[in-house]
Amino acid sequence: MPTITYDKLDLLNLIGRKMTDQELEEVINSIKPEVVKITHDQITLEHYQDRPDMYGIEGLARAIKLYTGREKPRKFTEKSSRIDIKVGSVPLRPLIAAAVIKNVKLTSGFIESLMNIQEVLHETIGRKRKKVAIGIHDLDKIFPPINYEAVLPSTKMVPLGSTKEMSLMEVLKENDKGRKYGALISQSSKWPVYSDAKGVFSFPPIINSDRTKVTPQTKNLLAELTGIDMHLLNQTLNILATGFSQRGGEIESVRILGKKIEVTPDLSEQSMEINLDELNDWIGLKMQPNQVSSLLEKMGYSSKDRGKKIEVSVPCYRIDILHQVDVFEDVAIAHGFNNFIPKIPNLSTTGGIDKLEKISSKIRQLMVGFGFLEVVLPVMSNQEEQFAKTKVKGMMVEIENPVSEEYTGLRVSLLPGLFRLLSKNRHVEYPQNIFEVGDIVVPDNDQETMSRTERKISGVFCHSKASFSEIKSLVESLMKNFGVNYQIEQTEEMPFIAGRGAAIYSGEMKLGIFGEIHPQVLENFGLEMPVASFEIDAELISMI
Amino acid sequence: MNPLEILEKMHDDEKKILKALLELKQATSDEIAKKVGVSKNEVERASMWAKTKGALDFSEQVKEHVFLSPEGREYSEKDLPEKNLIKLVQNGVDRIDELKRKFSRTDIGIIWARNNDWIKITDGKILLTKNGLENLKKQNETEKILKELSHDKVDPKKIDQKILETLIKRGLLSKEIEKKKTYFLTDLGKQAAKRIPKILENEIGQLTPEILLSKGWKNKKIRKYDVTLPSPKIFPGKIQPYRQVIDEVKEKLVSLGFVEMRGPLVELNFWNCDALFMPSDHPARAIHDFFYVKNPKYGKILDREVWRRVEQTHKNGWETKSKGWGYWNEDLAKRLVLRSQGTAVSARTLHSLKKEDLPFKMFMIGRCFRPDVVDAQHSVDFDQCEGIVVGDGLNFINLLGYLKEIAKTVGAEKISFKPVYFPFTEGSVELKVYYKELGWVEAGGAGIFRPEVTMPLGINAPVLAWGLGIGRLAMMKLNIDDIRLLYSEDLGWMRSKEIVR
Repeated sequence: MPTITYDKLDLLNLIGRKMTDQELEEVINSIKPEVVKITHDQITLEHYQDRPDMYGIEGLARAIKLYTGREKPRKFTEKSSRIDIKVGSVPLRPLIAAAVIKNVKLTSGFIESLMNIQEVLHETIGRKRKKVAIGIHDLDKIFPPINYEAVLPSTKMVPLGSTKEMSLMEVLKENDKGRKYGALISQSSKWPVYSDAKGVFSFPPIINSDRTKVTPQTKNLLAELTGIDMHLLNQTLNILATGFSQRGGEIESVRILGKKIEVTPDLSEQSMEINLDELNDWIGLKMQPNQVSSLLEKMGYSSKDRGKKIEVSVPCYRIDILHQVDVFEDVAIAHGFNNFIPKIPNLSTTGGIDKLEKISSKIRQLMVGFGFLEVVLPVMSNQEEQFAKTKVKGMMVEIENPVSEEYTGLRVSLLPGLFRLLSKNRHVEYPQNIFEVGDIVVPDNDQETMSRTERKISGVFCHSKASFSEIKSLVESLMKNFGVNYQIEQTEEMPFIAGRGAAIYSGEMKLGIFGEIHPQVLENFGLEMPVASFEIDAELISMI
Repeated sequence: MNPLEILEKMHDDEKKILKALLELKQATSDEIAKKVGVSKNEVERASMWAKTKGALDFSEQVKEHVFLSPEGREYSEKDLPEKNLIKLVQNGVDRIDELKRKFSRTDIGIIWARNNDWIKITDGKILLTKNGLENLKKQNETEKILKELSHDKVDPKKIDQKILETLIKRGLLSKEIEKKKTYFLTDLGKQAAKRIPKILENEIGQLTPEILLSKGWKNKKIRKYDVTLPSPKIFPGKIQPYRQVIDEVKEKLVSLGFVEMRGPLVELNFWNCDALFMPSDHPARAIHDFFYVKNPKYGKILDREVWRRVEQTHKNGWETKSKGWGYWNEDLAKRLVLRSQGTAVSARTLHSLKKEDLPFKMFMIGRCFRPDVVDAQHSVDFDQCEGIVVGDGLNFINLLGYLKEIAKTVGAEKISFKPVYFPFTEGSVELKVYYKELGWVEAGGAGIFRPEVTMPLGINAPVLAWGLGIGRLAMMKLNIDDIRLLYSEDLGWMRSKEIVR
């Protein structure tokens, strides 16, 4: 979710009327972006990914003007600029799109906006320039013929902000942008450039040339895009071009001469038919066509009433409209979410607690009755804690991209977490009798997710006289309270002292284990007090 | 107070101590315990009571001891590493790489031998200095102290302070502070103590079954207690504070007709994202960073048909009348991740619903995972509370209705709705709630599931979906500002935390 700061005065100029901070905040929050902060000269917004057309200050101003009725939906058209770009073979970034914006007035606000919009679109839609890279130039400093082609790294250019001619290879090594984005092209032997009669003027996705840079004197702009997805290039170009035209420029098209001839940008609106009944059912109102069309206008759509259907023209910069429900949402936004009267439907259903949660809750009640304190711990753990320290053998689900050594996988037992907790509380009054009812995850290649999530119940006695017989009494009492017929068998399993560990069965089914913890395990966890513990499967108990 | 009044309020243990001190004049708690035959702790506790009554007092002596750490003990037996080092050098093992192979503490040895000016190093070779040669046979001050300490605790004042500091810094010695109390009677205490023998016979302290049976209490006095005296602390077993909040929310959702659901913690990307119409490669997916499972990387496709429908929906909209995203990556969908959002359970539940199950309301409160660096606001483990309502005729105004109802369950005074974006809902709403103390707070998100989500899962009725920030809600209820306390490992805090009301 990009957070963008705007020049508040420039924004108000673009809107064309005074608005108080409170008005601005209310309108913007109603449209969708979230106002983070407003100062006397700046406004900071957090944007959502579905509306990149509002990332730029011009697009934002347009949305505000439409919503407040200061602008009506516009039909964008493009004249031909008579400029051609010849496209050669550029396997790395084969696709381009371009547009010309004529007769612009480059105020300081506009120049700042040019830089900001490129940066944010690069980061978001452009996926850090991988899918889309943008270059914006002073058209009058470009001398046709214009070519887009792949050239050797030894080709020379003067990168933006420099006076020195360098090879592309040097740009990659020495220029900040070169170092940052070089990895996108360095594996290839030939690199993409735009050139004109005077040489290279753009080196996408890295940097523009200094020669064609935009200055306060610039009158006409060329926006060129390169990438790998034509649909995305066109969408991005539309957002840019329609945004710039908000400042009064005229958009002109460019012919792209590749394997076939294409003309960009395509600013035509997309037509979408929505069903009035479906819209009313979806919102829960009974709106008339004229009401709907005035709400649509506030969101930038023009529309035609066709009886039960409404034909909606979706502006070319709205790249988020996939389905009529996207338009429905905009109608609701135009209406104002807080202007609806919320109403719970008359929909009678019977609620209920999940079976396993229910037994978990009963187990908790019993454990609390035994005087145990409940703890709730992270499910994430690590090999060291689950296996090395407990001396238990086993496998756990591990993570490919852990963020810390502490959390590298999912626990297979609740006990290590309880031991860790005890070790952190050695200065606290004993006895420390604690328990957890929680999930563990066991690798299991027979399952859809190659693992099983299981519910366990674990408890520990920790005090100077914690013993086997104490934990045995507890486990037996638990079993009796759940009406489970059980047998107890000796086990030699860790983490118990040999001869003081037991497994509890119901017929063939192993329900769990209990015993006195081995002093080596206590030492591994830094514990200086005897511990007796148990772990039982809650799901098995719920099945019996 | 006069001696008799004091005695009336005294516990038997106090009286025993008074009697003992009358004889011993002054004594430590150990000595009293021995004499009286109760534990040292009981003596100390009863002495404090007696002190508040003005019957006795004590003087305190603080004594420091030093003793060897395990490492120090080892050196006292097998020599210091620096000594071992120069011995090896003297025997011709003088190259550092060779030393390291033969002697595991070479590095420590070199540091201290150099500090002592015993050696010089040139080109990876060690030479003994004159000082070093002299020290080969001699036992220096440090070694003498270690030897002495190996037999007994030693008063640190008797040791050269510089050497002592170095030894503590090296972790060879530990310091221990011993506090010793010597108790003695006040004048009041003495007077009271002299009256004890008589009183003990005529008074009942603890009622016993024998006394009750023999009716012995009828002609004796039952001793009065000072009811204001401190008693030992006890801690109840109780439900963890965060769980108490979760249980309350559950109770309210069940009363609203919601059925609880569960789902697996390791999840296929398919259920976590793709079935929710989150495109394979789109900024929308940047909302989530996932924990990816290392091995095995991929899960199984159980219901081929639903996978095909989801694939088609992503690629061209399938029968949903959507344009779709134009692409889909099956490999990515098969990838195993740790569940990053509870909505995965909603998707699974929708897939399992039959026509006769409708209308249907479900909720789930469960663990989710995101690779955040852990701090007061972020935790890799966190819980989400999600709910869906499925039924014909449901609409956006109903969604707002449910949000209003849910806001009531979290005790909000005012509510407000704001447009927001989630990839899987359209008509996406953020719920903000107002509390007097906190102002406006984000409480949760909601929306109507997109047709691109519901139709491939076999649902043709509208699905209202909402999620509640249960962790944040619990933090407000528990009045804490560190998310880690929800999964607290602090026993003291959990024991002292009041019950959630």
